[in-house]
Amino acid sequence: MQPSLTRRQAIARLAGAAGTAAFAPSAFATSAHRKQLLVLFLSGGASQLETWDPKPGTKFGGPFRAINTSLDGVRIGELLPRTAKIMHRLAVVRSVNSNLPDHEKGHYAIQAGRLAPGYPVLGSAVAKLLEQPGDVLPGYITLRRAGPKAYTDSGDAGFLGAKYEGVRVIDGLPPENLIVPAGINAAALQSRDAVRRAADQRFLRSHAKAPINGYSTTFDQARALMQRREIFDLKAESPKDIERYGRHDFGKNCMLARRLLEAGVPCVRVVHFDWDAHQDNFYWHQMRCAEFDRTFVTLLDDLEQRGMLEHTLVVVTGEMGRTPQINNLGGRDHWGRAWSVAMAGCGIKQGIVHGATNDLGTEVKEHEVGIGDLFHTYLTALGIDSSADYDLNGQTNPIADPAAKPIKAVLA
Amino acid sequence: MSPRIPHHLLTLLCLVASLGVRGEGLHEQIDALLAKDWAAANVAPAAMSSDPEFVRRLHLDLNGVIPTAAETRAFLQDTHPEKRVRLIDQLLARPEYSLHMARVFDVMLIERRLPAVKSYDVAVAAWRTYLAEAFAANKPWNALVREVLASDGSDELQPAAVKFYVSRDADPHQLTRDVGRVFLGSDLQCAQCHDDPRFSDYKQADYFGIYAFLSRMSFHRDVKLNRSFISEKAVGEVSFTSVFTTEQGKTNPRLPGGEMIADPMLEKGKEYVSAPTSTARGVPVYSRRKQLAEQMPRTETPGFARNLGNRLWAMMLGRGLVHPLDLHHAKNPPSHPAVLSALEHWLVEHRYDIKGCLREIALSRCYQLSSELPPGSEPMADAFAVAPLRGLTPEQMRWSLLRACGRLDASFMRAEEQLKKTKPAEVEAKLKNWHWVKENYEALEKATTTLIAAFTPLPGTDDSKIDPVVDHALFLLNNPKLMDLIKAAPGTAFDRWSAFTDPAAMAEDVYLSIFNRRPLADEAAEVVKIVSAAKTEKDRAEALQPLVWGLLLSAEFRFNH
Repeated sequence: MQPSLTRRQAIARLAGAAGTAAFAPSAFATSAHRKQLLVLFLSGGASQLETWDPKPGTKFGGPFRAINTSLDGVRIGELLPRTAKIMHRLAVVRSVNSNLPDHEKGHYAIQAGRLAPGYPVLGSAVAKLLEQPGDVLPGYITLRRAGPKAYTDSGDAGFLGAKYEGVRVIDGLPPENLIVPAGINAAALQSRDAVRRAADQRFLRSHAKAPINGYSTTFDQARALMQRREIFDLKAESPKDIERYGRHDFGKNCMLARRLLEAGVPCVRVVHFDWDAHQDNFYWHQMRCAEFDRTFVTLLDDLEQRGMLEHTLVVVTGEMGRTPQINNLGGRDHWGRAWSVAMAGCGIKQGIVHGATNDLGTEVKEHEVGIGDLFHTYLTALGIDSSADYDLNGQTNPIADPAAKPIKAVLA
Repeated sequence: MSPRIPHHLLTLLCLVASLGVRGEGLHEQIDALLAKDWAAANVAPAAMSSDPEFVRRLHLDLNGVIPTAAETRAFLQDTHPEKRVRLIDQLLARPEYSLHMARVFDVMLIERRLPAVKSYDVAVAAWRTYLAEAFAANKPWNALVREVLASDGSDELQPAAVKFYVSRDADPHQLTRDVGRVFLGSDLQCAQCHDDPRFSDYKQADYFGIYAFLSRMSFHRDVKLNRSFISEKAVGEVSFTSVFTTEQGKTNPRLPGGEMIADPMLEKGKEYVSAPTSTARGVPVYSRRKQLAEQMPRTETPGFARNLGNRLWAMMLGRGLVHPLDLHHAKNPPSHPAVLSALEHWLVEHRYDIKGCLREIALSRCYQLSSELPPGSEPMADAFAVAPLRGLTPEQMRWSLLRACGRLDASFMRAEEQLKKTKPAEVEAKLKNWHWVKENYEALEKATTTLIAAFTPLPGTDDSKIDPVVDHALFLLNNPKLMDLIKAAPGTAFDRWSAFTDPAAMAEDVYLSIFNRRPLADEAAEVVKIVSAAKTEKDRAEALQPLVWGLLLSAEFRFNH
């Protein structure tokens, strides 16, 4: 079941196992800490023109200005004033051409790094690739508010199977059934678990191991979640801190994401909804960016202060961008030909803008980047050899699209 | 295929040719073909299944629920040499067969999809009744597909069958994709925007050929009748442009590999039976959509029979001969082409007889292999050389939990007693009547919605993609609704178990109820140890609870093996 490991990965693993780093307080975090991944997913597709790649004063530029950032000569949309001040800590790719102007396909392909169906999405893949012996917390947790579209969860673990599927935390509610039912004593629970384990051991002797172990693991995960259910509880946070993140879904979920990462969950994704502005694009982006800007910067600051950014890759992406053309309703439509993605944290070169679009933002002008390249880049930043293969029951599958490659320019 | 020889003639030729070499039943052909493939690949198949493995597997696959302890015991004690064949025929004749197939084909056709406005959907009960009726009559697949694709929600046509369209908001693009996937085994999604670069056999023109059948339709909600219909226009042409090559095309309705179908010339102003207005749905004189209902379910349609064979195989064996089920193309060939082709031909020869085909598969050695691995090796899943461990579907899990705990049969017992009191003359007939059985299942369904919700995956997933996840484990460990099933209460199996005064007999009944096998010596000893200290029935039930609970949580229960 193990993917073939590179030497680098093997060393990283040993280091991680030696230090029980996953549960260590952040003060002790060292460079040997296991890598972690946080994806902030702007669902619906944020407009690159109102965010990372403004074209003010042009035909398609829209009403907003571009503002100076902490990075010399780089300007971003005025709707992201706080982010502008930390640009020197980010890497932004302005030359993404995914060519998938579609929610469902985009959701899958951007996260799986390819078009071919059945592959794991980024969170599931990294959960598998960074897995360490003795892990019990879920490898991947995904946070969002309820609704509105099922495609938000599309794809997931693919052929890696249920063990690596994102555990869904919806509206900040911890998974259901975390509390032992009333009226059952501890001895009965112990005896129940002993019966289950003995039965599984017996069944394992003569049957295929993978599905039985996979099922058994779900009980270990369940127990770990039950024991640590306080990590889902934001009541432990001060009102002041909650205010800093913002009292909206995205703010609360980002705070929860930080808690989950601190607790040792390897991959967390937060979905920020409602970027699909087919009408009144500029109004919507004012609203969306206001939430995103403050929460994002608060989150990065917190991760940095706690020493977590050294081992955490933060990816900001949606399933697509938005058309340069502004439609009759003042909206921008689905668009995949020239848009932007941002990164921060481990393995990433800080303060860099890679690639560019033309003056109107209608085409990529230089350093075109595809979805496979981004996927390679994320894995490489996490210390994973993206040219390796999964080796599952004798079937090998490339971890990342072999036709694509990491973007060296943004890697540290 | 040469364009000058009509496809049906070719099919006929193939049939004649194939009949020459096989005089035997389908299951014998399957056995011979697989034996050849195993020998060629140097694969040692598993031993034949034990009786307990077989009785449990067959009940799950044909009736959707594990057998009762009594049914299991009867089968294990049966010494008739043909007892497996007889069990297959028994289970296929039961009302539960139709109900189970209705659930399976509900998921296969609808894939748990919901329309944007959930309340506009066709009621599950009506749709399942429609399907159960079809399987009770063993309606041929081509007839069923014709009805599903022809239905517009009106009473003249099967009204519930319109769910296939309604659950997808009658969206022509979603439907184009799903018509290809569900009925032909080909996912043409990528071909919507360009010829699929992965598979040379998925063409953009094929996608739009199907799309042209569907592009004139739309969803219509009749607010007065409070019902959902399909509306259709008499006009609307389909053209397309490749996003890669900017090549353009125009197409009339056409199935992949088939002929383009020209619209008939209609007198101007006479295109509609009733023209669409802002409040009324359109009904054209000539419906392209109904053409699809005619064209699709034909032997001449490449992939139609093969797709059914592959899906029935997957239903019984856990994966398709072509897998995934909707990715049939040159670069993803069937693992055993001759077996798939035998299934395809059998279905054509036997007029798409689903029940007959399942019977043949159940009779095959392959189906009846053990899930215990052959010594020293684990054959690849696509060799079909060992029975796979398949997670129970949400429906199988629900009914099997209810059965193991005695709830399902207690409920039927009550209904039967009621019947004996009120309509004694009808008891025998009712028990064999799927309508009556269905009503009783439905009553229990309403009482156990939490149970099914816990195991049901997201819309858009079918049963071949189900795996256990941590949510399931949490449910099984902690949910109060589950606790209702595993405590001593009237109508649970705990009543029966705790009444045993002989602990060994009790152990046997517990294991036959949950695992459908007798306990091993150490397992029986464990039960004896647990309950021997208990004096009263109540004490025994309490002592048994952790044991029963633990067994229900085990892999042996969770998998169809």
